[in-house]
Amino acid sequence: MGGGFVLIPLQVLWASVPQRFANANSIVAILPIALAALPIYYFRKGSPQIDFRIALFLVLGSVIGAYIGARLLKRIPERELRLAVVVVLGLVGFKELLFP
Amino acid sequence: MSWGDAVLLIAGGFAAGFLAGTIGIGGGSLFVPTMTIGLGVSQAVAQGTSLVAIVPTALVSSVTHFREHNVLRGPALWMGGGGVVGAVLGALIAVEVPGPILARVWGGFLLFTAYRLAVQALRPASTGGGQRPS
Repeated sequence: MGGGFVLIPLQVLWASVPQRFANANSIVAILPIALAALPIYYFRKGSPQIDFRIALFLVLGSVIGAYIGARLLKRIPERELRLAVVVVLGLVGFKELLFP
Repeated sequence: MSWGDAVLLIAGGFAAGFLAGTIGIGGGSLFVPTMTIGLGVSQAVAQGTSLVAIVPTALVSSVTHFREHNVLRGPALWMGGGGVVGAVLGALIAVEVPGPILARVWGGFLLFTAYRLAVQALRPASTGGGQRPS
């Protein structure tokens, strides 16, 4: 969990990658990471804790959201996009800090 | 599972997918609370299920981003490769779920990063687009 929260700032702050490319690169990099983590998680000792029925309904919504989001990315100005990342990072940061 | 639960999951999934497509995060930070707070699923099951849901979400995002020419292949490849190594090493070394102290350190790191990004975004004309001659 949390791959994107490291990958996005890493590119923007240290490599000066424009926000649009940083966000897209991040989700592209998350795909192999999640694919590698999945069998490790699944075959770890103990019973696999995955509810495939719940996953199906989540994915029904998420693939539509992902498609729309990815199509919209180009049209969001750089500055607004970066502020959106700031808001999401800030919200999750506060959540982890206050309700770990 | 009731119809209400199904609608909630689809709506939460949509929001998580939208963030994956635009911001570039996997969506776990929305998938998990949708299940735990929304449906009362245990944290362990929610995390495992979230990992499954991230795969098709990231796949659709990635294919769309490639088509839209939003991807720089070099950085994406290096980060993906590095991340896979990190995921395997992480699984070998730490099996335990991070405790509350680690979560707070993580939260502090996220807030610091958000602050740094905000400073950069709000600084006038900071990007290297070349200065306009006066």
